[in-house]
Amino acid sequence: MKSIAGFLVAALVLSAIAFMLGSYHTDVYRKLLLWITLALGYNFLFGIAGQVAFSHFTFYGIGAYAMVILLFQVGLPLPLAILAGIVVCVVLALVVAIPATRLEGFYLALATLAFAQLFIVVLNEGGSVTGGPGGLANYRLPDILGVRVTGPWYTVVIVFLLLGTLAILWRLDRSWFGRACRAVRDDPQAAQAMGINVTTTRIVAYAVTSALAGVAGMVYAFVDNTVNPPIFGLENSFLLLFMVIVGGSGRHAGAIVGAILLYLLPFFLSPLIGHHHALVFGVVMVAVVLFQPKGLIGIWDHLTARRRMAP
Amino acid sequence: MGEILVAKGLSKQFGGLQAVADLDLDVRRGEILGVIGPNGAGKSTTFNMIAGALAPSSGTLVFDGKDLTGLPAHAMAARGIIRTFQHNKPFASMTVRENVMVGMHLRLKGSLWRVLLAGTGAVRAEREAVQRADELVAFVGLGDCRDADVDTLSFGQGRLLEIARALASEPRLILFDEPAAGLTLAECERLTDIIRQIAQRGIAVLLIEHDMRFLMALADRVVVLNFGRKIAQGTPAEIRADDTVVQAYLGDLGAMAHA
Amino acid sequence: MSDFFELIVGATASGCIYALVALSYLLITRPTGVINFAVGEWAMVAAFGGFLTLSRFELPYPVGMALVLALMIGVGWLTERIAVRPLVEKGAPPLAPILALLGMLVVFREVVSVGMGPDPQPVPPLFGYGRLELGLLAGSYQSFFIIAVTATVFAAAWYFFERTLAGRSFEAVAIDRRAAALMGINLRRVTALAFAGSAGVAAMAGLLVSPNVSAHYLMGLPLAIQGFTALVIGGVGRVEGALLGGLILAIAEQFTVRYAPIPPGLAQGVPLVLLIAFLLVRPTGLLRARESRA
Repeated sequence: MKSIAGFLVAALVLSAIAFMLGSYHTDVYRKLLLWITLALGYNFLFGIAGQVAFSHFTFYGIGAYAMVILLFQVGLPLPLAILAGIVVCVVLALVVAIPATRLEGFYLALATLAFAQLFIVVLNEGGSVTGGPGGLANYRLPDILGVRVTGPWYTVVIVFLLLGTLAILWRLDRSWFGRACRAVRDDPQAAQAMGINVTTTRIVAYAVTSALAGVAGMVYAFVDNTVNPPIFGLENSFLLLFMVIVGGSGRHAGAIVGAILLYLLPFFLSPLIGHHHALVFGVVMVAVVLFQPKGLIGIWDHLTARRRMAP
Repeated sequence: MGEILVAKGLSKQFGGLQAVADLDLDVRRGEILGVIGPNGAGKSTTFNMIAGALAPSSGTLVFDGKDLTGLPAHAMAARGIIRTFQHNKPFASMTVRENVMVGMHLRLKGSLWRVLLAGTGAVRAEREAVQRADELVAFVGLGDCRDADVDTLSFGQGRLLEIARALASEPRLILFDEPAAGLTLAECERLTDIIRQIAQRGIAVLLIEHDMRFLMALADRVVVLNFGRKIAQGTPAEIRADDTVVQAYLGDLGAMAHA
Repeated sequence: MSDFFELIVGATASGCIYALVALSYLLITRPTGVINFAVGEWAMVAAFGGFLTLSRFELPYPVGMALVLALMIGVGWLTERIAVRPLVEKGAPPLAPILALLGMLVVFREVVSVGMGPDPQPVPPLFGYGRLELGLLAGSYQSFFIIAVTATVFAAAWYFFERTLAGRSFEAVAIDRRAAALMGINLRRVTALAFAGSAGVAAMAGLLVSPNVSAHYLMGLPLAIQGFTALVIGGVGRVEGALLGGLILAIAEQFTVRYAPIPPGLAQGVPLVLLIAFLLVRPTGLLRARESRA
């Protein structure tokens, strides 16, 4: 009961912020919320389920493109397009999950990297379906029941996407399933001995998180009202990984902190280093791995534990 | 019959090597069956076949009337055959209690939809799981370490955790892989006590062990393997007096001296 | 028909580059188990080194190459010292060095991007831009040069692993780290040597490929992926696997582009599809690693 109230409060606060921002900051805010959503999902896949995959952002792209294609090329009405889009995301997530989860560690990373690149190649060569290298643009979200959902109201949609994703992942994490994911991550052999079907656990974790990324992509499609291949490249997959590691792998709070920090940092650093902020990301990433592997959230834990020990 | 596990003609071949040949073995409910033999006798291979970690090359495994031959480890576990690991394998990122709760996976597992819609049912199940985990942790004597991270445990404590975690799965047959290995004398005594209590609850126990003194004092029956075959079977007293067994161990006089 | 042989030469040259990158991975992965995503960036840095020494400062080719090689070997050693050794000594999980190297990948790329700008820079080939014809085989001087150098590098690598004590110690560490340490093999030295050697080989790849494609700060990752693919195809355990995998990949790639009725852009997908296929069906590659235990 407590958590439902918590979510409502969060929804209200985050939505209220949406109404207080001008158009430039609205764009930043929306993208920040989306990155947090992605980071939460990736944190579950990488941090909790222990799967080193680079396909998360690719599913974001699949969702975005699917939405645009279903709405404006196939011509489905909005509710049907949303439904179909979700189905596409889930089905593709499963289709990739089943072979992918047979691979471990290095091989999984490699295969998902190849998959991510393959997606870009397909987008570039997709002709009029995907819009080729230029992508698709000049569309907008159709009116819902005669109402044009735009501006801060669309930001509210993103807020609900974020909170919905968080709610789902939180619940999963705190259940027997979350425990099974961690067990499989820590020691697959021992997990098997406890009756956990390692393969099924991996498939579900991969499919659920990838599908969530896809749904986030569907929402993203109407943020810039444009989708093109460079947006969904490997660079952003690396950034997602960095966010999760820097924030604190395996912790929802870590993903949130990491996403906020690494997404907003370039805005503050640009007077200093122009758009070479990736350099800072790389350095911070190496520093965190070397000196504070638990991430920033680890520092927080350390501080709060100290306080708890004092009489 | 009181047998819960009946293995017939169990064999395992690795390329040209016959690790286990034509082994017949049975375990009764509530009994402690010891499996001994010199190094390379095929104990571990037999153990792993029963646990589902290895598929037999031939032969059958019938558990509680059902043929389980060749099922993978998690399926064996789902049917009530739980094993421990000789080199403790705790889940390193979790606390003692959480480790034991993983053991309850088979019990807690349900539909994921129910997880998401998390009614009070799921919350209650989790709370009960925590309670049960604490009971098991207390049973093996790790009560004070409930919240400890597993990497702070001593080796002996880690062994106790293995047992608590195995018990959490509500096994009907527990397979112990050299449970006394690496334990101090005092820890061995506690272990003997725990295993006896487990058997008294009606759980069948199969253990492979090198520590003769420990095993002979604990086991109800003993099976002796050599070169992949069963060479003797009987009570500890019978085995001690058996010439073929002594012969097999002639290269291992130290072990027999302690039997 | 001469077309076909020209294609063979070109494909072989490309295959050699992939093989070198694959060898670069192998040199680190075998003894340490660490996957070094940054090898592509090493090649990229070397390419820029080539640009600076050969184009900008117009040093003679052997001098320029030697300088770049020496520098990159130092960079390799330094990378290990900074990003890997502290983690290994701390007992960090095996994923940690891989993540650190991933971070280094980004650092390398951005440093070069800051220092040298986003535009591709030319690197002159050793023998100029002429063509050579050896009987049926014809191709650019650079192609033949690449093949010759690669053959030399692989011969040296084979010799190193088969005939030298240092090379045998690499194998020993690859087979059983702990046992090797107990036998007195200095793990730290092997790791440092592995990284230094790997960087040297990657540098070679970068220097050899850049006359054809120019030095560009984004060239690292595609090269790294192609190298990975070559390694997976050929077999992750053997030096010969790197060479075989590279050649197979390049031939598959180029022949698809040339003869298959699909648009050239899609041909870029060939190595990716091959990689995924091999990972799923035959992750150990075509050549089996040598038996671990005698």
